[in-house]
Amino acid sequence: MKPLRIALAQIAPRLGLFDENLAVHHELLGRARDDGAGLIVFPELGLTGYLLQDLAAEVAIRLDDPRLASLAAETEGCSAVVSFVEESGDHRLFIAAALLEDGRIRHVHRKLFLPTYGLFDERRFFAAGDVLRATPSRVGVGIGLAVCEDFWHLSVPSILALDGAQILVNVSSSPGRDLAATNEVGLGTATSWQTLIRTYAQLTTSFVVFCNRVGVDESISFWGGSEVIAPSGEALFTAPLFEEGLFSVDVALADVRRERVALPLLRDERPEWAVRELSRIVAERAGLARDSTAEDGADPGLDVAPGDPVPRPIGFRPGDQSRSEDDADTPAAGVAGEPPRR
Amino acid sequence: MTAQLFELPAELAIDTGVARRVISEFIRGQLRQAGFERLVLGLSGGIDSALVAYLSAEAIGAERLLCVLMPYRTSSDASRADAEEVVRRLGCASELVDISPMVDGYFADDPDATPLRRGNFMARQRMAVLYDRSVTWGGLVVGTGNKTESLIGYTTLFGDNACAFNPVGDLYKSQIRQVAADIGVPEAIIRKAPSADLWPGQTDETEAGFTYPVLDRLLFWRIDKRRSTEELEALGFDRALVERVDRMVAGAEFKRQVPPIAKLGPRTAGVDYLYPRRRPGSARG
Repeated sequence: MKPLRIALAQIAPRLGLFDENLAVHHELLGRARDDGAGLIVFPELGLTGYLLQDLAAEVAIRLDDPRLASLAAETEGCSAVVSFVEESGDHRLFIAAALLEDGRIRHVHRKLFLPTYGLFDERRFFAAGDVLRATPSRVGVGIGLAVCEDFWHLSVPSILALDGAQILVNVSSSPGRDLAATNEVGLGTATSWQTLIRTYAQLTTSFVVFCNRVGVDESISFWGGSEVIAPSGEALFTAPLFEEGLFSVDVALADVRRERVALPLLRDERPEWAVRELSRIVAERAGLARDSTAEDGADPGLDVAPGDPVPRPIGFRPGDQSRSEDDADTPAAGVAGEPPRR
Repeated sequence: MTAQLFELPAELAIDTGVARRVISEFIRGQLRQAGFERLVLGLSGGIDSALVAYLSAEAIGAERLLCVLMPYRTSSDASRADAEEVVRRLGCASELVDISPMVDGYFADDPDATPLRRGNFMARQRMAVLYDRSVTWGGLVVGTGNKTESLIGYTTLFGDNACAFNPVGDLYKSQIRQVAADIGVPEAIIRKAPSADLWPGQTDETEAGFTYPVLDRLLFWRIDKRRSTEELEALGFDRALVERVDRMVAGAEFKRQVPPIAKLGPRTAGVDYLYPRRRPGSARG
């Protein structure tokens, strides 16, 4: 089998400048295709920039937007993954990644997990996707798309692989942080991601293609370091940190078969069992079943039981008038032994 | 060599190569987004502004940097000599603006003005000079305040903390020293006691009553690593110091934030009108 050439477009999108970013996509897509790439991957929100805030609605496009069609038109004989703000018919805004193949939009993945903690504020501006599907591809195997934070949830790579993906593609806008000298590659974020995607490749016995942007939006710097990981967990290629560039790497898709025969983890998966246990946990959280790990006396859906009732109300009550400064430390006369009043 | 130059607590050590890389990209990104090509900064002779001068030169070239020296008549000669040495080594443009006439003119009829008032006024005069030079030089004002002083509030609001952007504001003083040593800031500047130089003999550490390595470690564990008071005591920090620093940090919150606007209309800046500072159309034409 001919090797698949994967091109990683580690670009620095300009914030809010759709047409400029579109031009960069056209140029790199053409260059990679002419270089024989079969799969060309652009980072999360490569067409718009990341830290959009209220700009999100201004750069959003529908799936029938002619600018998206113009990119798809460049994919005769190859596949490309591009990312943008997608506006649905009912005007929800999603962070989307689209697989473009042979002139058409083959598949669209809407980011499932929108981080809204720490330096992230995505849920304020975007709707979360509801669907996760692997998709067949012209490259010859199934492809699973995910966007950045989606990969910080174990279920995503797992479900994509079970659904038939042999190449897991994660497109990211990962802000670099934590420069502690103890980090392996000088950047905590990069160390974490490298650990994650090697583990996912190994556990799903799939290729993992990670394309992360570079450049700066406001305070945050994106670190690049895009990678292609073999089904064995071995890194086949690591792009430089912080450097813009179009990088390509040839992979043998037959490695998936070899790895899965030697290490039949996916064969041994027990999704039916996982579904049963997950159904139970969902029912417990919803208060529809007794929570096996909750305290005795906890209400349905809660895991902590209320504490003992307060024995007496605090503060002034009728009957306290006789208290003086002198006996402030003694129990209030006339209420000892009475039931608490509210 | 650097071990003798300054004390660097182990947990604060960073990868200076990555830091310089990120900061260079950050500076270039800020300039590009704003439509500027040049920078201007106030060079005091201290380590913070010296480091920012070196980082700016590394990011965009010394020929695009203007350092403004703004001594007051009581400022130390050594500070000025150190600042001039930075300018000489970098080969960047520089200007000398003596702020004594402006400051003395204002306080002429008020001889009893406290050192604090005078110090704050000087810091704000320097800000005013920098923003004027920003126009004549055609450059953005780059900030030089570090994370330690910002957290404890050892800054003058709208004075030394005024800037278009700050490349070193997330570095503790100890980390400033580490990057300064790495990038080649003159040793004399790294070695000397940090001072706001607002009156003769003033140093940060005598004024605040603790040393930077201790303060940096305390802030790192408290803020970056979210340790409780009890956990900090277990790490060896004095409870009274922890509580005092907590009060300083909380009391300086207003210096780190944009002033609140009374919410009245449908969309209010900073509340529900949320745009990137630099967005299409925001760059100078």
